[in-house]
Order: sequence, then structure tokens, then C-alpha cells
Amino acid sequence: MPRFLPSFYIFLFLLVAAAFICMAGPCETAASDVDSIIFKGADYLYKEQLEKAEKCFKEAVRLDPKNEFAHNKLGIVYAKQMRFDDAFKEFLLVTKLDGKNTFAHKMIGILYLKKGEMNLAFDRFNSIVKIDPNNADAYYFIGAIYNFRHNQAKAIEYLKKARDAASHEADTHYRLAKAFHNADMVENAMLEYQRALEIKPAYTKALNEIGWIYYNRGDPDKAISAWKKTLKINNRDRDAVYNIAKAYNDLALNAAKSGNRAEAIKYWKKVISINPGNKAAKYYLNKMLPG
Amino acid sequence: MHRRYFLKLLSKGAFASLGFLSCFSYLRAEDSLEYALKGQDLIQKKRYKDAIAVLKKAIAADPKSDWAFGLLGRAYLGDDKKAESVAAFREAVRLNPDDSYSRMVIEKITQKPIPRIKDKKRPLTPLESSAHMEEASMLKRIRSKKGLGYQLRRVVIDAGHGGFDSGAVGPSGLKEKDVTLDLALRLDQKLKQSGRIKSFLTRSGDYYVPLSDRTVTANQFQADLFVSLHINANQKRSAKGSETYFCSEKASSAEAHKVAALENSVLKFDEPYKKKPGYIDIEEILFKFEQTLYWNESSRFAEVFQQKLESHLPFKSRGVHSANFYVLRRAKMPSILLETGFVSNPEEEAVLKQPGFREKIANSIAMGLL
Repeated sequence: MPRFLPSFYIFLFLLVAAAFICMAGPCETAASDVDSIIFKGADYLYKEQLEKAEKCFKEAVRLDPKNEFAHNKLGIVYAKQMRFDDAFKEFLLVTKLDGKNTFAHKMIGILYLKKGEMNLAFDRFNSIVKIDPNNADAYYFIGAIYNFRHNQAKAIEYLKKARDAASHEADTHYRLAKAFHNADMVENAMLEYQRALEIKPAYTKALNEIGWIYYNRGDPDKAISAWKKTLKINNRDRDAVYNIAKAYNDLALNAAKSGNRAEAIKYWKKVISINPGNKAAKYYLNKMLPG
Repeated sequence: MHRRYFLKLLSKGAFASLGFLSCFSYLRAEDSLEYALKGQDLIQKKRYKDAIAVLKKAIAADPKSDWAFGLLGRAYLGDDKKAESVAAFREAVRLNPDDSYSRMVIEKITQKPIPRIKDKKRPLTPLESSAHMEEASMLKRIRSKKGLGYQLRRVVIDAGHGGFDSGAVGPSGLKEKDVTLDLALRLDQKLKQSGRIKSFLTRSGDYYVPLSDRTVTANQFQADLFVSLHINANQKRSAKGSETYFCSEKASSAEAHKVAALENSVLKFDEPYKKKPGYIDIEEILFKFEQTLYWNESSRFAEVFQQKLESHLPFKSRGVHSANFYVLRRAKMPSILLETGFVSNPEEEAVLKQPGFREKIANSIAMGLL
């Protein structure tokens, strides 16, 4: 056997191994520049492939330890993996790299909320507003916290600031709508629920609340139609199912009370069709229907 | 003109105009593509202002081109107009949610403060006008209250059980459902008379209301508090007294667990609770935080109510407990469940039958609310 063969095989093995490393490195990308690695990681993150995303962002911060965006993204991955302490460390590191990184401050505030530390969260969100008076997210969370503290006027004030700073966020319109709704400002609530729906037509929570506005205005048909729209988007939406069942149940009870047996049966049948487990409708139908 | 000939001409005209329109939209898409390619070329040459002008033409020709919006975002970024860049990238993501690159760039730019783009003024819609008028009158009222602390404005009173579900039944036949309804009606009247709190009932007669409907009523009225009225029962006839419950993941005692199991037993009448597979997001965090707050507030309300019951009723106080009650868990506000006496205890059953004693119970609860 020729003497060069073992070294040839070693060379071949190293070549294949190198090719594998290049093809499926820590980040499973052939790219070596930080931006490309971050982009790959972000792509994995959006696709909820968290382990792959983690590898990419770890690789990015290894190559560029001061890359705030990569640290923030790594923090997000940790948070999604429920590794909240690790996430907290990443965001804290970013704020040390640059105290004006409002995204990291925001995430620290959110993690404080997660821990139940409302006052620390509140202070953190307020510090963001000092850095950036146009920060919609900070206003949003401050508004939400004022709402938790039952300070309606402040909640509305800050949620309006959030809305005015970034009118494209459906969640902001929804939370502002809820604050208006709780304050009996139904016209404003309706307007903001509708704005949330304009941005995100599948925002079922807004549709469900619009349903209650119609229902409380004495228009059950429009209410039911709103909840049915929710069910078209998500046929397992429990709120919509129970809301429709309650509306039909109320209509059936009213019909039964006024002696309109046929109408009552019609509505209880509708309850069953929407919520087959509804024992009230089953019971009353059995009682009313012959046999 | 002959009718059939006329229809023939009309259809020819329709086809011709349809062809013209589709040809027109095709030409516009072609225009958009050409402009976008030109814009891309200008970006590469770092002629960002020219690129912006050309890309705006691309978008005018095809407003649904996520690619053109993405390029416009890049051009603005090159021109150091971050707010405009973010707006363009956002439009690209709205048009194509799979556009990871645009999403990433938005996140990267918005890590730090960016200037704001002022919205263009436009005439108000009728709903906006009425909302403005409402805001002017209502906000003054809200601000004058200072808004601090918990202010009960709307309470939903839930009379436990009803209809075919009689709840617990006493040795001489007193039914829980009848006592709870009477208490609820009395309490409702007292709150209405006070004029300070709006009250709503989950049922006003002897009919069965599913557990799911009860909290739905509380959510319907955006209630600040949900009070569920019950009468306790125990196999031991000697068991007596009043107690107040609030919702928690874990029962505070084995006894509390049993009471929750008893009250939840009606769940066999309802559809089982199906949990959707969840995922971590900010709204979820806020929701859980809110729920914990509600439960903490419920615990404080429970303490207040139990104190009122203790000082105004001749019943032994059994204290405040927590357990996982279905009827409380689904409420999107603080909620408590009161067990005012044991119907299984012959002595307490006898007093629970008396209208005067029921009035006392309703008064004690009302004092806790007002």
C-alpha cells in the first residue's frame, strides 16, 4: 500500500469536516460576518426555532461582544425559553453598553412585571420616557400600570400618548379602548376598538367587546354578528361562544317569560348549536319539547 | 335597436373594457417593477434622495408592492431618515408578514430613540366627532375624582345555583338557590337605592344559569367586582358559620378545596374548559400580571367582607379562604364568593328561612360594598 494514503485520508477527513463546519456551524450558516449571522438568527427567531436562533446570537456576541442588537435578541430568545434570569442579564448588559438603548430598558421593565415588581417596572418605563419622549411602548406600559392602580384618568392620558406616538399598534388601541370602556366612555371605546380592528382585522378581543357595546345598547343582533365574526376567525374562541350562548339564552328566557314558547325553543336550540354542552338550554328544551 | 343585438354589443363593450382594465393594471405593475429596479440601482450607488423619489413612483404604481416599500425603507435609512424608514419597513411587513429582513431592521432601528413623523390632519368621522364630545365632558369628571384607589362603580351580584340546580338542601327542605336569590335581590335593591354603585344580577328568578354565563355577565358590564352568593353545606350537621372565598391556583386548605369541589360540581353541566396552547408574549405577561392583581385585590375584598359578616351576623366566623372556583376564575375583575351560613345545620337553616335575618345578611354585604 502506498505510504501517502493515510495522510491523504487524514487530509480528506479534515476537508470533509471543514466543509461540515462551514455548512452547519454553530449557527447553521456559512456566513461569517456578524450582520448575516444576526439576520439568520432573527429569521430563526421569527420562525420560533429558538435553539437555532440562540446559537446564532451567541455566535454573534462572541464575534462582536459589544453588539447591542445581538445581545437584545439573545435576551428575547432566553425570555421565550422562559430563562428569565438569563434574559434579564442580557438586557442589563445592553443598558451598560449604552444607557440609551430603550429596547433593553423596556424588556427589563417587562421582566419586572413578570416578577410582579410593578413599582420597579413603572420606574423603568418612566426612565425610558425621559430618554425618548416619543416612546410609544413606554407610554403603553405606564398607561397599563395606571390602569392596574385604578387611576383611570392617568391610564387614559398615557395610553393616548402611546396611541399618538405609534398609531399602528392594535394592542394600544385595544387597551385604550378598554380604559375608555371602564370609564363609561363608550363612544371613545367603540372608536378605539374599531381602530384596533382596522390594523388587525383578526383582533377577536376587540370584536368581542364591540359585541358587548351593541348588546348593552339593546342590539343583540349586531352583538351576535360581531361574536360570530370572532368565531369565523377562531372557532374555538371561548369568550365568543359563551357570549353568543348567553345572548341566545337571555332571548330564550325572555321569550319563555312572555309565553312565547316557539320563540324560546328557537333560541335554546341556537344555544345548543353554538354551545352543545350548555346544560341550561338542554334542560329547558327537554322540558318544552314533547317526548 | 333589436334587443339581442344590443346585448351583444353591450357584452362586447364589457369584454373590451375588462381587457383594457387588466392591461392597464398589468402596465402599472410593470411600471412599479421598473421603478423599483431603478430605485434599487440608485440605493447601490448611494443616491438615496433620487432612490426615494423613484421608489415613491413604484409605490404609486403598485401600492401593494412590499418589495418597493422595503427598498424605500432602505433608501430612507441611507438618507438618515429613521422614522420614515421604519414607517416604510412597517408597511412592507404589513404587506408581507414573512419579510424577516424588514422586521429585523425595524427592531434594530427602534432599539434607540427615533424622531416622530407628524400625522397629517384630516376631517373627523362622525364617530370621532362624538368621541371627542364625550371625552370633553367625561374626562373632566374622571379627573375630578383624582382616580386614586379602588372605586367600586359596577358590581355584579351572582345568586348561586337556580332552576333545576337547587344547590344544597337543608334538613327541613330549605334550598340554597332560593336563599341566594332572595339575598341577591335584596342586595341589588340596597345598592340601587344608594345611587353610588350600579349593580347587575346574573339571575333575577328561579332558573338555571350556566357557570360560564355568570362571569360573562360580569365581563359584559365591565364590573369592578363580582360577588357570588352561596350557602354552605356539610355532611356534619354541626358545621356552622360564614366564610369568604377568593380565587387562587391552590386551595388554602383541604376544607377549602372541598368547598370549591362542591361549588364546581355543577361544572358537570357545562362544557369542559379547554385551554388553548399558549405562547409567551407581552400581552400574556400583562394578562397574568393583571390576574394576579385581581386575585390579590379579591383577597383584600374577602377580608373586608368577612369582617362585616363577623361583626353584623350572629354566625361564627370561619375566616377567609382561597380555592380554585370556576365561577371566580373566569372573571376579568376581582371576585369573591360568600358562604353565609350552613343550610345543613338545622339551627342556621331555621334563621336563614327568616326574611328579617336575610335582610341582615344583605345589609352586612352592602356595608362591605358602600
